[in-house]
Amino acid sequence: MRGKLRWCIGAATAAVLIAACSANEVPGENNAAAGDGDADSPGDAGGDDSVRFLIAENFWADWVPYQSTAQSQARLETHIYDTLLQFPSGELDQPEPALATEWEQVDATTWEFTLRDDVTFHDGSPFTADDVKASVELASGATDTDTVLQTRWVPTTGEVVDDHTIRLVTERPFASLLNAVRQTPIVSSEDIEEGSDALAQNPNGTGPFRLVDESETKKSMEANQDYWAGPPEIERLEWEFVGDPQTRVSALLAGQADVIDRVPAEQHATIEEADGYSLISATASEQVNLWSIPGRVPEWDDSPELRRAVMLAIDRQALVDSLVMGESVVADSFAPQATLHHTSGSPAYDQDLDEARRLVQEAGAEGLEFELWVASGFLPRAEQVGEAIAANLNEIGLNVRVVPSDVAGLVDDSNSESGSGLLYHLSWSSGGDPDAALGIYATPNRWTAGDDTIDQLVADGKTTVDPDERAAVYAELQAYLWEELPHIPLYNSDFTVAYSDRVRELRVLPNYETNFYPASIGE
Amino acid sequence: MLLYIVRRTAQMLVVVLCVVTLVFLLLRLAAGDPARLMNAPDAPDDVVEATRVRLGLDEPIYVQYLYFLRDLFGGDLGQSFQGGYSVAQVVFAALPNTAMLAAVTVLVSTLVALALGIGAALTRGSWLDRAVQVYVAFAQSIPSFWLAVVLVLIFAVQLGWLPAVDFTGPTSFVLPVTTMAVALTPILIRTIRQSFIETLEQDYIRAARARGIAQRKVLLVHTLKVASLPLVTLIGLQSGMILAGSYVVENIFNWPGIGKLAVDALTSRNFPMVQGAVLVAAVAFVLVNFVVDLLYTTLDPRIRLRRAS
Repeated sequence: MRGKLRWCIGAATAAVLIAACSANEVPGENNAAAGDGDADSPGDAGGDDSVRFLIAENFWADWVPYQSTAQSQARLETHIYDTLLQFPSGELDQPEPALATEWEQVDATTWEFTLRDDVTFHDGSPFTADDVKASVELASGATDTDTVLQTRWVPTTGEVVDDHTIRLVTERPFASLLNAVRQTPIVSSEDIEEGSDALAQNPNGTGPFRLVDESETKKSMEANQDYWAGPPEIERLEWEFVGDPQTRVSALLAGQADVIDRVPAEQHATIEEADGYSLISATASEQVNLWSIPGRVPEWDDSPELRRAVMLAIDRQALVDSLVMGESVVADSFAPQATLHHTSGSPAYDQDLDEARRLVQEAGAEGLEFELWVASGFLPRAEQVGEAIAANLNEIGLNVRVVPSDVAGLVDDSNSESGSGLLYHLSWSSGGDPDAALGIYATPNRWTAGDDTIDQLVADGKTTVDPDERAAVYAELQAYLWEELPHIPLYNSDFTVAYSDRVRELRVLPNYETNFYPASIGE
Repeated sequence: MLLYIVRRTAQMLVVVLCVVTLVFLLLRLAAGDPARLMNAPDAPDDVVEATRVRLGLDEPIYVQYLYFLRDLFGGDLGQSFQGGYSVAQVVFAALPNTAMLAAVTVLVSTLVALALGIGAALTRGSWLDRAVQVYVAFAQSIPSFWLAVVLVLIFAVQLGWLPAVDFTGPTSFVLPVTTMAVALTPILIRTIRQSFIETLEQDYIRAARARGIAQRKVLLVHTLKVASLPLVTLIGLQSGMILAGSYVVENIFNWPGIGKLAVDALTSRNFPMVQGAVLVAAVAFVLVNFVVDLLYTTLDPRIRLRRAS
């Protein structure tokens, strides 16, 4: 018996020791986190030429282009693919050349782009006007294939003038064309011909980085040494989904990550006080609303008084000051403040419980029961925000039940015919373009009951090319939404990136693009 | 013995099948449409439907289940909804990481529990016994997620001695294992202490002492052998707790194991990946308990004899 016991203990000990010592060779998702450096030393994020970026949003999508608007996917794609134009300042009226060197509007529906002639895709094939034609036609919905991105476009065809000149012809005047071009990665026409299955597996762009390895939660890129604007100084770029905010912060402060996003507001001071770390905020691009689904609660659809009562009951300033915090600001429009042609609504809808109670009575909605859904794990302190709002609403005579969920459950309930919620605590980020910011409120989205005024103004904004006229359209649209309150605007949420100072010239744009080109690595 | 193994194997298969069936059904009954998640909120319904068809979610649940069983018995765990990776490849890459974490946790916890439990039993009523009791109460009341964060802040962020996250080598074990061991040791210590006290009062121990056998031999051979039997059973039963605990710990420490894989997959409703991870975890759980049962039979002749008779 003694021999057996010893044998058991000895075998277990040996197994553990062998396993522990062979840790670096175990295949897994992030076991190569230390990159080229000493794998077992804390404080070594990703090796001398590597950068490790921990992001809060999972990689929801695959590489089929134009079929996702997930932030995580868009941010990856900006490093693998190029677009015709770029907006490095984040200002939508300041486009700069990228794959296109010159551009001009020929007539109301035609734009001509002159393309670079020294660009190749990662697989070595040359970039030509045919690639732009195939990409834009697919993305804009001009082919038989429906795409998610087509809501940012009007159907557009390409006319190839020569290998490096193309005309884009829109079905009708299209004011956001330059911004739509910015959001449309250029994919090889040959890859598009091969079909979506091939595209899903093998992203082949002209961008500064090429994908070299990927898993469920991690994407690894290497510098494209043939990049037309010069090779990146960062040799290797690791993107990794880490959902827990505290884990992201700990990894950064322990030197195991170089950049993290969605830094919790309560951690801003800690990071600012620590030596060698900085913060960048791109707040004011993400609109957090209580979104309502038409048809769920007739009183909500029929009574502007009830909607106004809800707006007046919520202490939005307190939510921002005490719960969401950071750089977040109270929403003063249905478009976030960084949006082109943003206008502040009037009245300000400061909390007024007496007036809210009066409006509830006027609407005959006393004791009205409905559900408010909140999702944990994405927007900061969502559960507490939901509880605070419910407390406010119950104070004015409504009977609100908070339903905690995760993002998947909330999205499902809001989209399902059998969904039970009325209000959903969700965000919509739009990167500064008013069509993207306000188009979400128009038909055919589930968030609208088919309001003709909203639909018409959104359509007008899309097709009104003159800047002043376009600004007037969006001002009217925002005023109308502010008056009607189909949803309850809460705040523009904080979006703060923290990074180690070894990463130089990191750029975070208002649309949350976190650009590692032309960033570099310092000492 | 062979019959026993065959019977237990059949039982294990039934248990695993029940678990994966339950997970399969719960995933589909719970809210969260993967196709909707993979598309933008304003994506047209036909685009979402096309995604649903591509993922095979347009079929009735019973059809999906039959496909799932067919693939499962063919050794195919399916492909991930995101990226199309082989689920088997991803899950089996993550499995050793969780297994190592669990093994080191069990080893450390057992050694600590033996030392403290025996020490407390031998010195009943002393300061050591009281100190152990205080530790047990303290450790039982500490939430693992809180302890993990505090350990990281002190030893990784402030002192820089240990990695805060990831599995990068032997030192990566220290913080997650400490977190899990603090959760596991209280029950082990209590069991060891009680078992040791009871065993020490047995007649054969008194007889051994009366025969003049050295105290060291009485404790380490005669007493420990019997007193440690409940520990073996307990570790088997606690393996479920260790696996469940690893789900929390792996996420906090970004440990690339089954737990983190399952949680990440669940947030995106990546059904095949969740099913694969749960399947492997269920198999591991029943196998550990099976091994514990075999070990118990080996360690305790009374069970062997009873079974034989």
